[in-house]
Amino acid sequence: MADSLSAALATLRSRYGPQALQRGGGQIAAGVWPTDAFVLDTGLLPGGLPRGRITVLAAATRGASGRLTLVQSLAATASRGCQVGYVDLAGTLDPGFLADLGADLATCLVVTPEAGRWDRGFAMARTLARAGLPWLGIALGGPSQLRPAAWEHALAALAEAVAKQGAVCVVAAPSPLATPLAHAASLTLTCTAAGWQRTHGDVVGLRVRAVVTKSKVGPSGAEATLLLRYPRPYAVAEIVGLPSVITPRVVLPEQAPAIAASG
Amino acid sequence: MRVLCALHPHLGLVAALRRHPDLHGEAVIVGGAPELRLPVVAASPVARAAGLRAGQTLRQAQQLCPGAAFVPLDSGAVTALRASVSVELQRLSPAVEAGDDEVLCDLSGRHAAYASEMAWAAAVARALSVILDADPPAVGVAASRFVARLAARAGTSGRIRRVRSGDEAAFLAPLPLAVLPVDPDVTARLAGFGLDCLGAVAGLAPADLQRQFGLDGLRVHRLARGLDGDGVNPESSVRAWSERLVLDGSSGDLETLLRAARHCTDVLGARLAERGLAASEVRLDYETEDRAPSGVCVVPAGPVGNIVETWAAVLGLLGELRPGAPVTAVLVEVQRLAPAAGRQTDLWRAGDAAREAVFLAAGRLRARFGDQAVRRPRLALDPGDLPERRFAWDVPAVAGGAG
Repeated sequence: MADSLSAALATLRSRYGPQALQRGGGQIAAGVWPTDAFVLDTGLLPGGLPRGRITVLAAATRGASGRLTLVQSLAATASRGCQVGYVDLAGTLDPGFLADLGADLATCLVVTPEAGRWDRGFAMARTLARAGLPWLGIALGGPSQLRPAAWEHALAALAEAVAKQGAVCVVAAPSPLATPLAHAASLTLTCTAAGWQRTHGDVVGLRVRAVVTKSKVGPSGAEATLLLRYPRPYAVAEIVGLPSVITPRVVLPEQAPAIAASG
Repeated sequence: MRVLCALHPHLGLVAALRRHPDLHGEAVIVGGAPELRLPVVAASPVARAAGLRAGQTLRQAQQLCPGAAFVPLDSGAVTALRASVSVELQRLSPAVEAGDDEVLCDLSGRHAAYASEMAWAAAVARALSVILDADPPAVGVAASRFVARLAARAGTSGRIRRVRSGDEAAFLAPLPLAVLPVDPDVTARLAGFGLDCLGAVAGLAPADLQRQFGLDGLRVHRLARGLDGDGVNPESSVRAWSERLVLDGSSGDLETLLRAARHCTDVLGARLAERGLAASEVRLDYETEDRAPSGVCVVPAGPVGNIVETWAAVLGLLGELRPGAPVTAVLVEVQRLAPAAGRQTDLWRAGDAAREAVFLAAGRLRARFGDQAVRRPRLALDPGDLPERRFAWDVPAVAGGAG
């Protein structure tokens, strides 16, 4: 029985290629795009964001979660190395803020579909990905206005284009996470706001707890706390020319108060 | 910048010899009948050996070379030959300036297929020789068109004279003042000062020359030092190619029209890619039996240079143009042809090779969903206090495109 099964598997693999059959539960091999954030690349993600896959930054609850700042800071990092597309379905993008994050605006394409036309936003993202755009950020805002069938169709087309081009695709999604998007994602990072970071009484950043709730490319369940330090372009003490929005730190529960106090 | 200058027989003479092959090796004078009060346009080597030069009157030419054949100048053939030279050499050089008796090509940078500048120049010379069916031309390569032209004149047929960057002044120094393309009065006054070669002029201070000759003095100084910096001035192309397909009977079926347009696009796109050209405008026409042809035209976001890009433009036109009557023929035309622009890919920027394709896709999205669909932000030069005044929006466009 085992020999005949092995022979059948060998026949299928020789005829249809080694990727034709894969064991369930295994991890999908994917190239990665390093985010340059130590905690993301080593603690949460397998070397960075997966290429050719859809990564979702999901809000755990309604309200501020830091997902949009995170996707914008990732886009800013990417823009210094490649062309970047940002689909602003949330309608919250401020290019000035993107520049403060260290983005090279000359390499950024901002896609702004009509309000509420998520289908058009996904279609445009798919078109740009098919054309060869290597990095794509999609910011969703508010509850989904798409029917499930339209969701699935749009996401399937986008996933196919992203996979074909090996592009990095990051979707920032509000809570609750739409089921089709949860299914289409190869990596889901759930973000929860853990409080403001204050220095001398001023808000200088947002602490975000990130948990890998789904991963087809690595182990899930990893957890870390990030400090999204807001840019302060007019502050004399800032390092000019270097983005400082992400100051990732792995925060252990017993050390959390000390780090919060140190700023 | 590196400029190649190739001196070839006058295109009028080439056209005349193609028309009258029996005149090969004979004394031929192009310009018209000797009775006419016209100048000699070109002369064959045999006629030139008799002392004939372009610019002399035809009557003088008859006296110098009584046995010569006098042929009129075929302007149409010369224009066609010049266009042919330009198109063929554009395969080898991004910018080509074809004249009546010389060709200038831009050899700046490196060519992927030729390891050295000499090999590249030799390829251009070979191509020119094949196109004109003539002896290999005399070729000069230098940093400017003036020096390259003189280098070509200093060489002989089939030889390439290369002046390295920085050696221009040394190359020009022994040449006489007569080679300067300036007013003869200026060269006569320079000679009056006892200056007999370009090296002597180059040794003067530019301020002194300017004091004596004004702006001409500064130009003379730059030319004498090989610093004129003039490059190749490629002709602005107004050519167009079209492909027409006559349908088997009239048809209003959109599927049939789409297939006909696709066939025409395939032919034109393949020809564009083969010739290394790109079109800045695409037109689609429907011909009907009883009405005047109806057509639409589009300026794509970027020049189209292959089947895929051309088809994307034609597909948009197919959506716009509705046939009012059964169509008998479909015509696709690509206009404003120019050498397809090339650029150096930024190897440190991932996906940079797809930049044009991404911008073209962005252009299509803008055409379909509106101007605000895809934009590129740019920091404002004079930002105000309001956040929305810190930036402005640009159109992502490929160089040479519509944007």
